[in-house]
Amino acid sequence: MAIRDLLDEAQWRARVALWIMLAAFGVLLVALWQMQVARGATYQAGLERQSVRRVRLPGIRGRLFDRAGRCVADNRSGYTISLYLEDLRRPGRWSNTIVHVEAVLDDLARRLERPRQVTTEEIRNHIRFRLPLPMPVWRDVDETALARLAEQGLGMSAVEISAEAVREYPFGAAACHVLGYCGRADPPTEEQAFHFYIPELVGRAGMEKRYDEALRGRAGGQLLLVDVSGFRFKDLGTQRPTTGRDLLLSLDMQAQQLLDRVLADHVGAGVIVDPATGDVLAMTSSPGFDPNRFTPVLPVDEWRRISGDERRPLMNRAISATYSPGSTFKPVVALAALASGRAGVHTSFSCPGYYNLGRARFACWYPSGHGTVDLRTAIEKSCNVYFFQLALQCGLDPIREAAAALGLGRATGIELEAEYAGLVPSDAWKRRTFNDAWRDGDTCNLAIGQGFLAVTPLQMALLTAALANGGTLHAPRLVLGSRAPGEESFERLPPSAAVPVNLPPSAIRFVRGAMRDVVMSPGGTGRLAQIPNVVAAGKTGTAEYGKKGEGLKLGWMIAFAPYDAPRYAVALVLEEADTGGRTTAPVMKEILRGLFEQVPPARG
Amino acid sequence: MDWTHARWLLKRMDWSMVIAVVLLLGIGVAFVYSASYRGDDLPVPSFYRRQMVWALLGVAVFILFVLVDYRRLRAAAGWLYGMSLVLLVLVLLVGKKVYGAYRWLSVFGVQVQPSEFAKLALIVMLARFLGRPGRDLRHPLTTLRALVLLALPFALIVKEPDLGTAVVMVPMTVLMLFVAGTPLRHLALLGLVGVLLLPVGWLGMDEYQKERVRVFMNPGRDPLGAGWNKIQSEIAVGSGKLWGKGYLEGKQNVLGFLPRTVAPTDFVYSVIAEEKGFVGSAVLLLLYAVVLAAGIRASVEARDRAGRLMAMGVTGLLFSQVFVNIAMTIGLLPITGLPLPLISYGGSSMLTTLAGLGLTQGVYARRYSL
Repeated sequence: MAIRDLLDEAQWRARVALWIMLAAFGVLLVALWQMQVARGATYQAGLERQSVRRVRLPGIRGRLFDRAGRCVADNRSGYTISLYLEDLRRPGRWSNTIVHVEAVLDDLARRLERPRQVTTEEIRNHIRFRLPLPMPVWRDVDETALARLAEQGLGMSAVEISAEAVREYPFGAAACHVLGYCGRADPPTEEQAFHFYIPELVGRAGMEKRYDEALRGRAGGQLLLVDVSGFRFKDLGTQRPTTGRDLLLSLDMQAQQLLDRVLADHVGAGVIVDPATGDVLAMTSSPGFDPNRFTPVLPVDEWRRISGDERRPLMNRAISATYSPGSTFKPVVALAALASGRAGVHTSFSCPGYYNLGRARFACWYPSGHGTVDLRTAIEKSCNVYFFQLALQCGLDPIREAAAALGLGRATGIELEAEYAGLVPSDAWKRRTFNDAWRDGDTCNLAIGQGFLAVTPLQMALLTAALANGGTLHAPRLVLGSRAPGEESFERLPPSAAVPVNLPPSAIRFVRGAMRDVVMSPGGTGRLAQIPNVVAAGKTGTAEYGKKGEGLKLGWMIAFAPYDAPRYAVALVLEEADTGGRTTAPVMKEILRGLFEQVPPARG
Repeated sequence: MDWTHARWLLKRMDWSMVIAVVLLLGIGVAFVYSASYRGDDLPVPSFYRRQMVWALLGVAVFILFVLVDYRRLRAAAGWLYGMSLVLLVLVLLVGKKVYGAYRWLSVFGVQVQPSEFAKLALIVMLARFLGRPGRDLRHPLTTLRALVLLALPFALIVKEPDLGTAVVMVPMTVLMLFVAGTPLRHLALLGLVGVLLLPVGWLGMDEYQKERVRVFMNPGRDPLGAGWNKIQSEIAVGSGKLWGKGYLEGKQNVLGFLPRTVAPTDFVYSVIAEEKGFVGSAVLLLLYAVVLAAGIRASVEARDRAGRLMAMGVTGLLFSQVFVNIAMTIGLLPITGLPLPLISYGGSSMLTTLAGLGLTQGVYARRYSL
């Protein structure tokens, strides 16, 4: 074999070797092109997914103030202790991890000296559905507990402490139905989910719900670049959250607390309005609830207790309950009769204690009878028999018109949810509903505020206010103004709509006077509401409710005072009462005395 | 050796390789710096400074291997080969355990990797054996004896275990056999036997090595454990796109997704690919291609068979390492602990590679000379 041949042979093979190497590099180049150019965006997305975190910073909720500037709904920070369950993962089945998490929780519970708040089931659900997110295990922990935890050393990376806004109502349960309550908002359903979502508060009832949009700040956001351990590496951009507007409410918390206190032992409702403006100074529905319990999260057993309570503490009886007004409706009938000219102030009827209409007998509440009475006395003593006859003489339509003029039968438009419009029945309504004509017996029932007639305490308070101020029906007002965050003074809203009541002023004057006698005269049914030094006017009422034969009665009283220049118009209704005069008038007295002796006039 | 002869030799070097090597060394230092960079406010670990020292030392070794006549190395091949085996045994006995493997030997406080030295020794030994005048390459026994020469260091290195280093010795040996003139049917038979032996190899593998292969087949298997490096390296490379994010702008290593222990060493290519994109990745391949082509040219133009085989062995080894490392970085091959020659942080690999390349230039410079 010649050396030459060998060389040639070697050179051929060496070239092949070079080509193999270059071909292999070609493969690498193609693969690199595929990854970096053809599919680069996919990998870029992968990088962002693992290293960029979107954090949502919740907006700060605006506060609520009463007319004197007292804060009635505030924010404070509550601390939440969360666990990263991934960090507590144990090898093997997830049940091993659950056992471990429970051991950690028990240990934390001992150190915090606070009972565990989450159940095994909740741990399992969190693992199944929300594993990458921290699991909140103690909510609204105070600083003492945190200090206790810190003292002993957290000792584990799986524990995270975060601040969460908690809505606080400094007056507790006062005005709970007006203020409402908050809950945690549902997670936002935006296109790109947030990695860290700090729940925001959202109004669930009352003013909190009605003005949620104004109260709610705008959420901010933050883009964070995190390193492999999840620590913040760089802030890529932050949008600060904004604070919502503050609201100035018409409520006077002193009047409100008074009303709450007086009604605390009853089931019922009360409304105090300013007759000059329609401002709602206080509104109470009893029983109530403590809105503080609702944030950050209402405990399940408490929710069960509240929602299972037959007395329905969440319902605002002042606007949502359907009540017969009883004899508090008599001033309306009197006004209708006077306005229609079907009767005069001297019209008299005789009361033997009952009234026979055909074969039916309608009783007066005073079985012995009031004798012959005129209109003024009939109102003062609340004589049913007089009003049966007056109503029959007057007819249904004028009564309906007077009721409508005073705001009954339609929603007042107060800025609260679930307001009941009430009902002023008519012939057409009865035909529609019962397929039966309007009969004189219906008129007799209507005359004493019974039967189909239904009103809300708020409507009665505004009606009382219209009588008190001599004939102007105001729309109720709960919000006086609002202010942007950082501003000192409130932007005032225009006064509420007021319409003159389409009834003769002389008739109103007369009825006002009769209502003064109800309270001030020794024979008046509302005399138990008398207070020293202030002349008050009012009307009591008793109405049966519930199933027939149960004997359940509502005790009503409407009142305004002082008689000459009224500052307050009050409507009060108590369930399971004896009569308005005996049960409700003494309560009204407490309210009036409190208003004039303890509450300084606050004009807001 | 006198100074005139030295200058004559250096002048006759293939300067395209020298330039490419110097560029690669510079790129290496720059990206070892970038791979250990953790943000403006943190000090950069001093890897890059040590890498600079290694590069300068490497250049000196390169020149030394150009100047020392490869024929004297050929003469000492038996000694070198024997010594490498002794060192490989020593490392198993008194070696330092790093990440569960005995790969390092401490010599006067300096950590050396005998397996790196063994690769060079094997090249020289095979070149001497296959290149001996009158060797009958057509005889099957020649091929078998060459394989035994491979098998001894291979087995010892597998035992460390350092599968990556051991594996790259196989294509290197096959390439030397091929270029030496071994009949193709021998090589084909060898390939067949190799394929048949794969299951045996699988059974002989450690559990962690099997796991790497399994993860390679299915990266989702253990994304936080064995699959992590693969996934993160691919994200780094892919997100570099065409032009890259810019020097020191790579997110994967700065944020620590590409683990800091491997970013400057085995996965330095993914840092380059992320920061310099496809263009930078391709330029790097081009520089390696220049070095490889120069190595092949040295082999082709060698004055004797031993020189030709030495140059080819070194080139084949360099190629295998570059290919395996990059293929692993971009997910084409399972993860093996193999550095990227001339770029990855580490002294032993640097010095061996440059010694080998010096050897090829020693062969080249002495072409047609007396």
